[in-house]
Amino acid sequence: MKINSTIKTTFKAFFFVAILGFNAACNSEDPTLENEEELITDVTLKFTEVDEAGVALASTFEVTAIDSEGLEVGGSPTIGTINLTAGTRYLVEIELFNSIENEDITEEIVEEDDEHQFYFLGSAFVDTPILTYVYDDADGNGNPIGLRGFIRVAEAPIVNNAMFRLVLRHDLNKAFNGANNPNFVDFVNAGGETDLDIMFPVFVN
Amino acid sequence: MKTSLLFLFLLFNQLVYSQQEDCVITIRGKILHEENNEPIEAAYIWIKELEKGAISDVNGNFRINNLCPGFYELKISYLGHADVVEKIEIKANSNFTFRLHAEDINLEGVEIHGHQDAIITTTSVNSLRGEELKYARGESLGNSLRRIPGVNTYSSGSNISKPVIHGLHSNRIMILNNGIRLEGQQWGSEHAPELDPFIAKEIAVVKGAETVRFGPEAMGGIIIVNPSPLPVKAEQSGEIDLIGSTNGRGINGAASFSGGSEKIKGLGYRVQGSSKYQGNIQAPEYIQGNTGVRELNFSGALGYSTQKLGTELYFSHYQTTIGILRDAHTGNLSDLEAIIQNGRPFSESEFTYEINNPKQVVAHQLLKLKSHYHLNNGAKLNLQYGFQRNQRQEFDRRRGEANTRPSLDLELFTNTLDFSFTHVTRKNWNGSVGLNLIQQANSNIPGTGVVPLIPNYDMVNAGVYAIEKYTSGPLEIEGGLRYDYRYVEAARFNNSELEERNFTFKNFSAFLGGVYALSRTLNFNTNFGTAWRPPNINEQFSQGLHHGVAAIEIGNPDFVSEQSYKWINTLSYNGNKLNVELTGYANRINNYIYLNPTEQQFVSLRGSFNVFEYQQTDAFLWGIDLSSIYEINSHFEVFSRGSIVRAKNLTDNNYLPFIPADRLETGISYKFLQGKSNSFSKIFISNLIVAQQNREPDFDFASAPEGYSLWNMGIQTPIKTEKNKLNVGLHVNNLFNTSYKDYMNRFRYFTHEMGRNILLKLNYEF
Repeated sequence: MKINSTIKTTFKAFFFVAILGFNAACNSEDPTLENEEELITDVTLKFTEVDEAGVALASTFEVTAIDSEGLEVGGSPTIGTINLTAGTRYLVEIELFNSIENEDITEEIVEEDDEHQFYFLGSAFVDTPILTYVYDDADGNGNPIGLRGFIRVAEAPIVNNAMFRLVLRHDLNKAFNGANNPNFVDFVNAGGETDLDIMFPVFVN
Repeated sequence: MKTSLLFLFLLFNQLVYSQQEDCVITIRGKILHEENNEPIEAAYIWIKELEKGAISDVNGNFRINNLCPGFYELKISYLGHADVVEKIEIKANSNFTFRLHAEDINLEGVEIHGHQDAIITTTSVNSLRGEELKYARGESLGNSLRRIPGVNTYSSGSNISKPVIHGLHSNRIMILNNGIRLEGQQWGSEHAPELDPFIAKEIAVVKGAETVRFGPEAMGGIIIVNPSPLPVKAEQSGEIDLIGSTNGRGINGAASFSGGSEKIKGLGYRVQGSSKYQGNIQAPEYIQGNTGVRELNFSGALGYSTQKLGTELYFSHYQTTIGILRDAHTGNLSDLEAIIQNGRPFSESEFTYEINNPKQVVAHQLLKLKSHYHLNNGAKLNLQYGFQRNQRQEFDRRRGEANTRPSLDLELFTNTLDFSFTHVTRKNWNGSVGLNLIQQANSNIPGTGVVPLIPNYDMVNAGVYAIEKYTSGPLEIEGGLRYDYRYVEAARFNNSELEERNFTFKNFSAFLGGVYALSRTLNFNTNFGTAWRPPNINEQFSQGLHHGVAAIEIGNPDFVSEQSYKWINTLSYNGNKLNVELTGYANRINNYIYLNPTEQQFVSLRGSFNVFEYQQTDAFLWGIDLSSIYEINSHFEVFSRGSIVRAKNLTDNNYLPFIPADRLETGISYKFLQGKSNSFSKIFISNLIVAQQNREPDFDFASAPEGYSLWNMGIQTPIKTEKNKLNVGLHVNNLFNTSYKDYMNRFRYFTHEMGRNILLKLNYEF
């Protein structure tokens, strides 16, 4: 009899604790919709023809790269074509936007300008360049960012079409030797990771 | 003179007996503890009429030769246990099994002894304990288990390592943390087991498929981490460890204290804690940026034991922050290719203890209540309840305020209830029937700003099993059958739409195994087991970017369960000077789930990524483990252990990824008596050779690194005072600061392994 009651008590205690535990964590939470905040879905390059003093000579035109699906599998980006005129100097401003979260990413880059830098690569800038880029902004340490800069199109370009590769690096060492060169091919050597890597076709008239 | 006389007398006796015609009968037998079926060594077996006897060996086996037919009275005695006296009739060679019952507590000086459950399995068990475990102190669970042949690690950098048994890891093996199956987010390759190895008194590895006993997912084997049993009498003891390492300039400390109550007999307790503080790891040629670790763990146990009833309450908390090598986090495929090309991180780093993003912050709590009750006739009831909470936060480098928020934030609750009844029916049979219930709830904590990797889900699994074992002298045969039912309910947002899926999995598993003692020194184990594993939630639902390796991974919700058939054989020889263990196995896994690269690349504004799809195939794994120790003389000992694994994808006729390369470790140790403390010190030096993995899958980001050879050495010396013991160890790992990469480390894409590490290990027992 005594044995039975001991077992019974033990069992009761166990099931009591077990039931408590099973109840405490019984169900998972309902899922909540989570959007990619980090994502850049809209990249806008604003070109304005300027003179040597930087005064606008014509109205601004925009070229965009859009991927509204972001990193969702299945979507593919729509990338615009850049049409430039030979021998012309352009002011280039870059704007970044997350259309899923309705968030201005440009602002975030400005806030953390010491951790971000744009590079201008591809056949338009490297080897036999038809475009030359000069940074026109700087972070608190005097290092370039690339949200604003000038592009000069060669007087007599060797080719009239090329690739304009735009790379945004995050968390790089800006003091790295050569990192202040906008056409720094070995940008990976400065550390950090890529936030944007887009190939725009460019035509020169 | 006396001895030679005795010898002559014995010889004479022998001659007399053997001259008699039928006196050639041999009886063999096995002596076991009634309560847990563990073998009893050094039990005394005496034949009253012949005044002749034998002593049982390590495996509880004995043998008495040259007996004449007839009736005899056999008496078996062992300290602290009731004598067994039995009349037997001997006609031919025969086998016997005896179970000894622990004596009552009434006797002066004989106390209730702790109730420690042994795993009763016919599969061979390898374990780390005592001195060997001391050498391994301060290492992660994965790394310390590499001392067991056939066990390897799958790692992500120097601080995250997962154990691999015979080529299988993660959800294909099980870890029992003080009797409870560890339930964290073990599917992730960069998710290390959430437990503190300092709690262990013994870490055992069962390499056979143990699904029947422990439930699905134990198809590759199980790892059992057991603390020492709680004290049951009024005594106090404790242990303090302090370990310093030059590489990472780490400090690792642990303390435990246990005692038994004087007032209440059978009441015992233990409190234990450990912590780790380590900075950036040094590869031979550079410092690995952001590779620091913090760890803080504690546990408490309270137990009450009487002759019949044993109850234990246990709580543990594990908490860690692990820095992830900065450069291992790549933005896109060209970043990844650039760093692989470079062979090492781009960023130059200084030494620091600071940990920045990317990092992991993981906490794990376990609450366990366990009870057993001894019924008459050696039967026993076991009841165990476990509650676990696992919280995993992973932080990436992000812009602005998002940098302070985790990009992965998971909370997993697990309840387990295990009930078993073990019985002894008749002399040769014993076994158990049991029920395992698991209930699990996984939730993504909102607010990460990242689409979750895995959905929220609820899971229940119920399993019933029966295992019977037949023991007859040197032979043990064991078989078992299990049925499992699992129900999973998963929910997530897919492209902003709520998606809910339910799954039901049902499976039978079975095993048959045996042990045969060929002689006093030679043992043979064989085990054939079927096992199953339902597809894991990540294999069903992954759909997105795996940051570290710039890969898009796509799961498949329609997967069926994996089914495995593993046959494992072990031959072990335990001689006076030589110990050899040879294990061979074959494992066929149908519907094996793996991540297969596709030809596609996914293009986004961030650049391009490789696309991987989870697929099912049929796989075949086989391999051999060998370990041997030879005592040359009282000072020198040589050891050698090696393993090979082969793993083929049978459908595509190629190789499975991340299978350990062939390895062989050889060492020599020198033991000498230390004058002052009158105890043995030991110096050892060993060499590890790891071959290049030539059996690679068709696609990998980088080809397998070259093979390597490493030298390790150390000295371990105990300093004994009257009652206490101080162990001092000085170890040097990677003696020549060799620069190498290991195929099983995912971070081989980004960096080399750790360079030379000198460790000072102090262990004080009181």
